[in-house]
Amino acid sequence: MSKPTDERLIAYLDGELGDDERAQIAHWLEQDADLRERAGELSESAALLRAAFDEVLREPVPERLMAAAHGPAAAGATLVDLAAAREQRAKPRTRERRWWVAPAAAAAIAGLIVGIGISRSVLPEQPAATNVTPAPSFVENLGGYYVHYTNADTSEGTSFDKLPPNFRVPDLKPWGLEFRGARFLMAEGHEAMQLLYSTDNKALGPVMVFVGNFSDGDRGVKFSTSGNVNVLSWRSHGHTYAITGTVNTNYLWNIHNDLAYQFDGI
Amino acid sequence: MSVSVSDQLIAVLPRMRRFARGLTGSAVEADDLVQAACERALTRAHQFQEGTRFDSWMFRIVQTIWIDQLRARDTRREEAEDEGVHLGTDEPGRRVEARLALEEVRNALQDLPPEQRAALMLVTVDGLSYKEAAEIAGVPVGTIMSRLARARVALQARLEAGGSLRRSTEDVKADG
Repeated sequence: MSKPTDERLIAYLDGELGDDERAQIAHWLEQDADLRERAGELSESAALLRAAFDEVLREPVPERLMAAAHGPAAAGATLVDLAAAREQRAKPRTRERRWWVAPAAAAAIAGLIVGIGISRSVLPEQPAATNVTPAPSFVENLGGYYVHYTNADTSEGTSFDKLPPNFRVPDLKPWGLEFRGARFLMAEGHEAMQLLYSTDNKALGPVMVFVGNFSDGDRGVKFSTSGNVNVLSWRSHGHTYAITGTVNTNYLWNIHNDLAYQFDGI
Repeated sequence: MSVSVSDQLIAVLPRMRRFARGLTGSAVEADDLVQAACERALTRAHQFQEGTRFDSWMFRIVQTIWIDQLRARDTRREEAEDEGVHLGTDEPGRRVEARLALEEVRNALQDLPPEQRAALMLVTVDGLSYKEAAEIAGVPVGTIMSRLARARVALQARLEAGGSLRRSTEDVKADG
């Protein structure tokens, strides 16, 4: 086989070649320092490209897009007339600062995004206990847990569980939330955990993140409310996740985007 | 129980925004594009084939609308609204450098032909396979492969010329 072209080398790096050609290019890479250097450069520029756009995943999704996704029939939908919006933008205007971009970008480029390490030692796979009656509405009941554990009268006495030393907690500081503690519990016959984040910002309020080691298959985000507590839940890769808080669902949604991104790093 | 189109749209919104940002090079234009794609998807939900990938269907809609816009629009671009590039004054110098490097990458992407831009966003950024990207773009896999190769080589050359690769490497080392 002659020396691989850039096209074949890129296809190799992208994992798009068959076994034979992959082995041939791997052999070439072992022998040819220039080719190795070229492969390194191409990998680096690809990583930089991903970093340049990954911050978009961490940005708050504008309400008009949420409304568009729900459709015009959705209650409270505030769809923007695109033609009118373009016309409006054609006029000079003051630029707005987007305060949230800086930390997100810095995290992206420096690889500081912390993935949660829910290892088997923390949340081992377990079959559903046969004598446990499933509680299908467990996630929706999280509103009650939220009230209990964030209530000033009771939360002072809440004892948090000790986390394993290598456990990496999702970082929600860009959202003004500090990790306060975690609790392990059983939910629907499986191990689960709750992470509590607090803030001095009363308008935001505490946020609780739930991670359960169970799932009936992947499911997109579902919104529900319990009293004044909003619950946003989803299922992915064998886990059930939820975020609860009194803050509005749009803010929770944006935290969800960040969390889903961090969980994907597992 | 099948998940509603709206729920699936909400789940894929961040990736659609990222894809659209790469295509248009503008935060506002990208969100306009995503909004138009959502509206089209909801009116044509019956065309989505169960069992196929919803995200691919949405990427295809985004790309189709974008191409239609490119064709219909005067080639003169609306004044770019670089909302995503403002730098905080209190950012450490190294972080500013990193942001500049990322901005250079985004600018370099905009110098590429539209079809190469789309291929890069689908495969290199979003991680789709060549086959999936080919289906979205409506071209053979070999075409995607050659578009990607040309795009990666051109991007590489632009970044080397601009010094982004050196800066990003130094930044990562400094942070590590």
